[in-house]
Amino acid sequence: MTGTDWGFASDLQDVGEAIAIVGIGDADYSKASGRTTQEIAAQATERALTDAGLSPTDIDGIMYIPFSGDQFAAAAYRSHFGTSHNMWVSQKGGGMVWAGSAPYDAALAIRSGQARYVLNTFSVAWATQRPQMVGGPGQVHAEDLYKQNLEVPFGWFPQPVYFATIARRHMYEFGTTPDQLGAIAVACRRHATLHPTAIMRHKPLTLDDYLHSPLIADPFRKEDCCLISDGGAAYIMTSLERARDLRQPVIAVLGVGVGNSRSGAYWSQQGGFTSTPQVFAAPGAFAMAGIRRDDVDVLACYDPFTIVSLMQIEDIGFCTKGDGGRFVAGDTLHFDSGKLPYNTHGGMLSHAYVLGIAHVVEIVRQLRHEAAAQVRDAQIGIYGGYTGPQASTLILGRR
Amino acid sequence: MHEDFPLPDVTWEPTREFWAGAARGELRITRCHACHRYVWYPEPPCRHCGASRLTWTSVSGRGTLFSWSVLHYAWIPQFKEQLPFVTGLVAIEEDSAVRVVSYIVDCRADQLRCELPMRAVFRPLRYPGVAAQVVAPFFAPA
Repeated sequence: MTGTDWGFASDLQDVGEAIAIVGIGDADYSKASGRTTQEIAAQATERALTDAGLSPTDIDGIMYIPFSGDQFAAAAYRSHFGTSHNMWVSQKGGGMVWAGSAPYDAALAIRSGQARYVLNTFSVAWATQRPQMVGGPGQVHAEDLYKQNLEVPFGWFPQPVYFATIARRHMYEFGTTPDQLGAIAVACRRHATLHPTAIMRHKPLTLDDYLHSPLIADPFRKEDCCLISDGGAAYIMTSLERARDLRQPVIAVLGVGVGNSRSGAYWSQQGGFTSTPQVFAAPGAFAMAGIRRDDVDVLACYDPFTIVSLMQIEDIGFCTKGDGGRFVAGDTLHFDSGKLPYNTHGGMLSHAYVLGIAHVVEIVRQLRHEAAAQVRDAQIGIYGGYTGPQASTLILGRR
Repeated sequence: MHEDFPLPDVTWEPTREFWAGAARGELRITRCHACHRYVWYPEPPCRHCGASRLTWTSVSGRGTLFSWSVLHYAWIPQFKEQLPFVTGLVAIEEDSAVRVVSYIVDCRADQLRCELPMRAVFRPLRYPGVAAQVVAPFFAPA
């Protein structure tokens, strides 16, 4: 499959300005900490409730994803807060692509009266669980029987290898260079050094450091790859009307889009090998929000590897496909560049590997004008979510 | 995980013919029984016409290098002894949308480039600590 027949957009209703994000909370971000995923999510939720000025019984909708470790589902929520109230429950929440698409499902539930205040959480304890890729992030891929029988036997495993192979092809097709991938790692690390909770806050990185670090999965160096962390975050959504009565600035959901790859998580066979399903997600989100690329003040994308940042920046439409390397070179992605401030908390490469939920929290902070590496007068921000099979575009605006 | 991991489970039905073919020195790929287009991986339905039946066919083993990575780190302990190694994707001559994952052998990593003509070579695949071995299609410059 070539051209654009390798994927498609999900058909979504217009939920523009139906809801707002009114509370955000980070759990503590760390290397191996001995904490469980539920403890992490509970801490993030307590902080989100405080941030929103809400009490535990106000939350009548809860979103999570059945995933690695026990997530913070309704039973865990009630047990933690000692409540017994009814809750609308959705398993279309959590991190990754769903950190960006959960607001869509929450908006439908809120609009139809199924819930008033919806919590979305995601947490991981991969640093504690196991430092190896089997048993951690690679496990789901090792357990896939097509991968186990057609990829793993040939050493094509796990994610760093998939995406190094994609990066190599991107270099061949478009002339992308290691310096350009390095510019992404350097921008993210600079932002982490400014961020009080970033795991890499005390470890500055120059482009020279990047280029002199050893290759692990050529063309990838260690700094092209995300951290392995314990941590998580939470955010609370409600209607725009109710949001106006709460304590925080109103950060509205302006648009949501979801794109899909027909080859699922089999990257080896993806027709658009050097693309992401953002190609299919972004147009609908921008149409729903009624904004243009030029209107975007700050961007955060799910960034397991530098190349995934580069491809999403292209695929959302901030530059022509293939020009991403030249576009990100230099200071383009820095928070104070006046160009395209990107992953201003440091992203999964340098803040924490909590699979995108902290990205949404950071975008909300930017639009509240409370971020550590604050983009001046940021009004519109985007989270680009990704899992491989799917991508999401979440457009938020200060109202 | 089955006991011979990271070797394949050659008895797993959906890919059994790929490995049975390799043992005979043939590269076997699936195509749609209805529209005859190649479909890879061998998982129905057909991505082109939606038909539910795929059939196995032998292909030439010729293709081009689509992309690759040179591994200097082993994410699976059994890969450690072979470091550094090259793993990648070969687009087959019959349909460039079909990419076969394999080890790239018989060349230096600095000689590789995308679109380099390749050919399948059939050799034993073994891993330390795993008693079994299977014959697998590796790829070498043509």
